[in-house]
Amino acid sequence: MPLIPLLLATDIGLQPTREILGNVPSSSRWIFALLATISLGFFFWGCWRRIRIWRLGRRATARIPLRSAAVRFVREIVLQKRVRGRGIASVGHLLLFSGFSVLLIGTLLIAVEHLLADLLGRPANAPVFHYGLYYIIYEFVLDTFGVALIVGCLILLVRRCARPKSLDHRPLDVVVLLCLLFLGISGYFVEGLRILLADTGQSGCSFVGLATARLLAVTGIDKQFSPQMHLFLWWLHAIPALVLVAAFPYTRLLHSIAGSLNLLSQPESLGQMIPVRLEEVEETGRVGVGRVVDFSRERLLHLDACVACGRCEEACPAQEAGKPLSPKAIVLDVRQHIDAQPFAALARLACGEEGKLNSGLHGDVISAESLWSCTTCAACVDICPLRVSPLGMITDMRRHLIGEGELRGAPAMALQKTQRSGNPWGLPQQDRFDWANGLDVPTVKSVPDFEYLYWVGCAASYDRRVQRVARSMVWLLTQANVRFAVLGTEERCTGESARRMGDEFVFQELAATNIEVLKEHSVRKIVTHCPHCLNSLENDYSQLGGDYEVVHHSVLLASLIESGRLPQPSRAVAETITYHDPCYLARTGGITEPPRALIQTATGPGERRGEIAEMPRHARETSCCGGGGGRMWFDDSADERIGRSRVAEAVETGADTLAVSCPFCLIMLKDGIADAEAGLEIRDVAEILAASLGYEQPDRAGGTRTE
Amino acid sequence: MKILVPTKRVPDTDQRITIREDTHQIDDAQLPYIVNPFDAIAIEEAIRIREAGPQEVEIVAVGIGVAEYEKELRTALAMGADRALIIRCDAVLDPWNVAGILKRVVERETPDLVLMGKQAVDDDASQVGQFLAALLDWPQATFASNIECTEKGLRLEREIDAGIETVQIPLPAVVTADLRLNEPRYASLPSILKARKKPIEEIAIEELDYSIEPRVELIALAAPNQTRSCQRVDSVDRLVDALQEVLP
Amino acid sequence: MNILLIAELQDGQIRPGSLSALTFARQVALETDGSVRWLLLGENLEAATTEAARYAPVLFCDAAIFAATAADSWAAAIAEVVSTGNFDLVVAASGTFAKDVITRSAGLLGGAMASDVLGHAFVDGRLQLQRGMYAGSILATVTLLGSPQIVTIQPSAYAAAEPGETPATVTNEQIDTSRLPQNIRIEHLESKRGGRPDVTEAAVVVSGGRAIKSSEDFESLVGGLADTLHAAAGSSRVLVDAGIAPNELQVGQTGKIVAPEVYLALGISGAVQHMAGMKNSKVIVAVNNDPDAPIFEVADYGMVGDVYEVVPQLIERLG
Repeated sequence: MPLIPLLLATDIGLQPTREILGNVPSSSRWIFALLATISLGFFFWGCWRRIRIWRLGRRATARIPLRSAAVRFVREIVLQKRVRGRGIASVGHLLLFSGFSVLLIGTLLIAVEHLLADLLGRPANAPVFHYGLYYIIYEFVLDTFGVALIVGCLILLVRRCARPKSLDHRPLDVVVLLCLLFLGISGYFVEGLRILLADTGQSGCSFVGLATARLLAVTGIDKQFSPQMHLFLWWLHAIPALVLVAAFPYTRLLHSIAGSLNLLSQPESLGQMIPVRLEEVEETGRVGVGRVVDFSRERLLHLDACVACGRCEEACPAQEAGKPLSPKAIVLDVRQHIDAQPFAALARLACGEEGKLNSGLHGDVISAESLWSCTTCAACVDICPLRVSPLGMITDMRRHLIGEGELRGAPAMALQKTQRSGNPWGLPQQDRFDWANGLDVPTVKSVPDFEYLYWVGCAASYDRRVQRVARSMVWLLTQANVRFAVLGTEERCTGESARRMGDEFVFQELAATNIEVLKEHSVRKIVTHCPHCLNSLENDYSQLGGDYEVVHHSVLLASLIESGRLPQPSRAVAETITYHDPCYLARTGGITEPPRALIQTATGPGERRGEIAEMPRHARETSCCGGGGGRMWFDDSADERIGRSRVAEAVETGADTLAVSCPFCLIMLKDGIADAEAGLEIRDVAEILAASLGYEQPDRAGGTRTE
Repeated sequence: MKILVPTKRVPDTDQRITIREDTHQIDDAQLPYIVNPFDAIAIEEAIRIREAGPQEVEIVAVGIGVAEYEKELRTALAMGADRALIIRCDAVLDPWNVAGILKRVVERETPDLVLMGKQAVDDDASQVGQFLAALLDWPQATFASNIECTEKGLRLEREIDAGIETVQIPLPAVVTADLRLNEPRYASLPSILKARKKPIEEIAIEELDYSIEPRVELIALAAPNQTRSCQRVDSVDRLVDALQEVLP
Repeated sequence: MNILLIAELQDGQIRPGSLSALTFARQVALETDGSVRWLLLGENLEAATTEAARYAPVLFCDAAIFAATAADSWAAAIAEVVSTGNFDLVVAASGTFAKDVITRSAGLLGGAMASDVLGHAFVDGRLQLQRGMYAGSILATVTLLGSPQIVTIQPSAYAAAEPGETPATVTNEQIDTSRLPQNIRIEHLESKRGGRPDVTEAAVVVSGGRAIKSSEDFESLVGGLADTLHAAAGSSRVLVDAGIAPNELQVGQTGKIVAPEVYLALGISGAVQHMAGMKNSKVIVAVNNDPDAPIFEVADYGMVGDVYEVVPQLIERLG
């Protein structure tokens, strides 16, 4: 039936429907309309107060493509994909969310029906569309999701009462849940009384309402009594509903708006950082976030998106190691700080004018110690159901600390050395290619028509243990006839550590030099065994005009085996292998299978051949070795090192070999194994593959050194 | 109070130093240069004196040398020096002439305190501060590991072979900084960028009316210990023999 | 050359370094047909002058103003003695005393000075001096222009002088102490704790690494061998991190950079950071139970073995 005639048809015959606002006298209707207006006023005023805070910041990252946004909308908002994984709590949230959403949509549809009917001058018994099959489905669906709402509320109330430590508790949270629960239950009573009162057709589709009606009838409530009771209950249902609408933006419920926006606005890659324009720094004399108004719009949205569920805190390796860092507290403390400031002063500061705040962000609210504790492993961002990024807030604020010269000691030294010598150890640039002494390693000069540039990185250039990884790689690439070359002494640190520590100046200086060198040698494809170099070359360098196709060595090697350019490994090199996923490869890069494919064939004969003795935390849920985000350069004593539990976890698998695919992990875990005196051998996946194909490392000890 | 901090531009201490064929110069074609680490400590201490207050402190960094020196002086400015002077001079100077030039700079600038590193890590001479104090007839305190401003001048702790010596000196004075005086700050990004804008006053050596009179003539540079190869010993007996041979 | 040797005293005794400087001075005097005289400044110098006279003629000035070593008055006094006595070479042993006082007097005497000299030679009648630069990685040969020349000697480079057969003359040098500048007031001297030399100054450093399991073991093995060899104790970063060794002993990129005559690395694997701090040592001796440890790549002598077995034997054999 065409739409217009449908809207205009006033005779719906005997199709099932019900009178909207039946038994509600017009005086009550007018009062309701007035109260609803006031309630909506509070609602919009509350939202505006938050929106104007978000708008203090500038948008700092590009919007994600519409397609990705649509996918995220369906998967992450409608289907609640990121909320899952917490057992009964996730079920509770899913029920509450779906119940709340459906009832909200239902209520809005009723409002539309009512307004349309008024507009078209329909009589009470002739609704515009609220009849027939639509009506039946509507009543059934709403009754069903009402149950979901009630059950969800009950689950979450129990959880609130159990007070798990990770959760942030406010009395208001329980009030909101009780209010929602009351709305759900009172709704059924209103419906039950209506059914008793009006005896509408097909009342079976409102099955809970019908059951309530029968229950009421059994208790002796009959038609004579129920009109007054219905009206009373109707008001009892309406007033909390209006209060809830008004209170919405002032409670945790706000997360459903801010969180949804947050989900749709965060960048796609976990490895991406907010770019910094040095010209702007020169102009303003400011870098990073020194005051709360320096946060970008994306970050300010985090403050309202966060519901303090505590998943980030549980996933945080620094928190686990007893460091003074809680990603949750970072977000909540900043929110509390911004809420305590007069908005006028914030607004003036954001416009570059003078303004006085009650307290400072750094020191008063966020301690430098907690900012420096972060390994940038991105576990907090990855686990957050709403894609809140405490990590991003931390690196933003680190930039300010670096800008103020607040970093001292060993890590500051590492930055200085990176700037001077092009590597964090400060070793001579002319020694960078010494790892290849005695080998015939092709360079960009000797083999200018290479396909892959092998990016060696600082660790494999200077650390004697990691040098073995580079030598294995060279052997493997040669075996597979890959046309590759290295930069040799022309390579410099990517600046990844420096950037994650907040030193944009050193990073951009190094990146500019490297991009120039890569351009000079027309580099397009890069293979590297370092996930940090990988992420930097891919995500950081693209912000500065360097666009390359970068692959991790595990990916390239796995494809070489698959295509037959490398033989299937034959020699067993270990009895049982466990594999530690590097954060920047598994979580940031999303690569978990290729390294496993490489090591699977290298286990010894026996039942467990081809099996990897997985640690409880593996793949994307891996736990950090403690070396990322510049933590490698902090002088931590053995018992306060982040990632020391990781060694214990590896030992517990019963494996004799710990496979890794990142030089940072190799160095950190090697030290951890030595400290724990664990009899575990640690090797890079390339070393394992090369060994199982028959490669033997040259003995380099006792050689001659030239000064 | 005005603090003059003379600095020296030296090759990065992490680098391997090699000698040119003429045996008179090191091969610095690829060497990164830095502010002499002890001078960086002196700059840091000057900044801390200013930060501690209450008196107004002006910090002037001085460099003597080639045009490229500007980069290292920018680091001094980025750390927090108020202004910088570069005395342009392409000749290689020995400590006596450095002190002579600095004396002229002191006469121009009339600082209350000359604060500098205890030695430059290139020639390791450890002479300029003491020469300058002698030339100015000012009191000196070398190897300072703690500096405290008092009403009468400065109270300092000096790290000497016999232990820690506490001395009191009036101003004006020359103080040289030791390793443990402080940990220099890492020059911040905005300050580096601002330091790009700060002017560096360039003074030609001729303007100072100073004639260079060499006191040290370099005959040759050589690299000791050309190669090192590990001789493996397989018993404690042989290790003891080896040690007895090499122990001084 | 007419040589004045400035004696450095400690607790009223001549320090051994000054006797090494005397060896240098005697050799130069022999080559140039010159003479060597001591200069002793201080208070209550009787014992020290008697001791000094066993080696060479002595000039001394015993005055209350010299009770403490204030650079301004000392330097002025030395300069006055050098000028009035027409000395053309001033010699002293390297150390903070010489750096502070002798260098200042050189500043009063025209600035022809070479510090920390490691060796010398006469070429065409000119005194050529060798000294280290760039933390000892470069050896420079220089001659000084002008007179007087001032030289400080690295004591480890010259053997201590032997006394002469008969005691030499002792002359009281008249200095008008009231004219000396007195602007430096020495308030207090806090002697160093412990008997071991500083890790950056010592000629021999015994350093321990990861193989050492506790502070007691560190003290008995590393400390024990250091005491046997009159050496400084050092440590790699792991031990400082683990609280086994104190901070000030850390050798390496983030600790101290050392370049002693002999560096003994006990159970140190040779992380890059550590090697950056000790690779310029003259001789490196390593003991480690891992034959592939990178430390062997920079060592002159290497032994594969357990430090818990090797070190007690070394202490016994070298003691």
